[in-house]
Amino acid sequence: MNIIEMVFFHLYSVLQWYFRPFIKWFLRKTTKLCELQRICYGDRVGTQRTCNIENSLMLSRTKDVKEVVTFLDAVVKERRFIPSNFHQFLEPSINIIIRVKKINRKIHDAFIPSFRLCLQQIWCYRQLIEEVEDLRCTQFDSNNTSHEEKLLNLWDLMVPDKPLEARVSKDWQYIGFQGDDPKTDFRGMGLLGLENLLYFATEYPQVATHVLSHSRHPKYGYTYAIVGINLTSMAYYLLKDGSAKTYMFNSKPHLPDISLFHKFYCYLFYEFDKLWIASKPENIMEFSMIFKKFENAIRTELADPASVFRINVEVDTI
Amino acid sequence: MGLLSILKKLRSHPDKELRLLLLGLDNAGKTTLLRQLASEDVSHVTPTAGFNIKSVLSNGFKLNVWDIGGQRKIRPYWRNYFENTDILIYVVDCSDHVRLEETSQELAELLQDDKLRGVPLLVYANKQDLATALPASDVATHLGLHLIRDRTWQIQACVATDGTGVKVFYVYDNCMPNIMCDIKYSVFIIISLSEPTAE
Repeated sequence: MNIIEMVFFHLYSVLQWYFRPFIKWFLRKTTKLCELQRICYGDRVGTQRTCNIENSLMLSRTKDVKEVVTFLDAVVKERRFIPSNFHQFLEPSINIIIRVKKINRKIHDAFIPSFRLCLQQIWCYRQLIEEVEDLRCTQFDSNNTSHEEKLLNLWDLMVPDKPLEARVSKDWQYIGFQGDDPKTDFRGMGLLGLENLLYFATEYPQVATHVLSHSRHPKYGYTYAIVGINLTSMAYYLLKDGSAKTYMFNSKPHLPDISLFHKFYCYLFYEFDKLWIASKPENIMEFSMIFKKFENAIRTELADPASVFRINVEVDTI
Repeated sequence: MGLLSILKKLRSHPDKELRLLLLGLDNAGKTTLLRQLASEDVSHVTPTAGFNIKSVLSNGFKLNVWDIGGQRKIRPYWRNYFENTDILIYVVDCSDHVRLEETSQELAELLQDDKLRGVPLLVYANKQDLATALPASDVATHLGLHLIRDRTWQIQACVATDGTGVKVFYVYDNCMPNIMCDIKYSVFIIISLSEPTAE
């Protein structure tokens, strides 16, 4: 079964490699539009359009298009693809593509803004991967005052009515860290785990408190911070393998950036909590099973380019 | 169940499955070890809520490795995973001097449990790359391993994050059951099936 699938897949990619130019040529002649135009005019704005544009650019065998891709990738590597620089980097790129594809600016003035948005989304996403990786690789460091401040701030936001007894204290277990000192719990997710938890507590205080109270449930409780760090890991992988594009590209008017990543995380936390409580687990040992189930459900949703994600906060404020 | 019965079990079961149980305090390095055994990336490990399980195929053996979270809240659930364990692997963070006492106590409790009676014990003295790490021999003394009479045991210095000392192989040497470790970076486990001379 597997071999047949593999053979079919190889056959398909070989055929695509040879026939794609012919199909594109044929469509170009009949519609008088290049592939980029057909996508921008035909596909729904958001994930569908942007992903197809990205695909088309990556498959392109035109030298100039390849150079544009390499150039923008280099900008991302230097972390310089930020809104204030968009004009400087994007206009020359768009001009090159318009020239190569022989697009008449006057007739197709609707194409340019649509195409520009796609380019912004594609390369913002790529830069976001780099930025998230930077945060993940930064280990939590007790000697760094800004790290320490963030950690203490997290406590104050989560448990505002009770001051922390001491920096190293059993209190931390109240918000679901493993022991007396959270510093060893961030591990492979580094500062990213802390930033995620902090953003959730800062931007959605009611939701975070609500979720924390669920985690304190005598029967269906779980370890809030540890589960949170595992969700950071899940968000990180979804971002890296491109699954999170659906979330990011459908989040108009936001472009993919670190706060959109945090929002994605908050969405995951809120949804996981709902699923956990609804599953009525026997104890924390069911975590890996429910977590896997949750990941599959999220992946299924992300696989549909029309999915739009939103935390349903109204329910909580009642 | 001792190593003798493991061998019997292996001979009677052609599928040759072994159940390995990984225990130890939180932040000892259990999940990193698990991933190292499965030759997976170890740089993205997160604290374990609940447990992880991986099946590792090596040299014709299927190793079912169970990695149970080590935080205090989870430890009461450890015993749910004792049954049918072939090898108990206990991981110690050698740089965590403060909790050496705690980890000794947990191990002592494990060794007294009926369901784990006679199960061979492999202790990983982990984090040997850190300057503050105690050597494996000191850890063995702290844990009181030399007083163990009812099972075979072995302590192994290792660095789970880079794989030094992690990969294990088990040999059956005459009728002296023995666990041997430390084949740097190789991915196999051997259990030689030579006939015991006395039983």
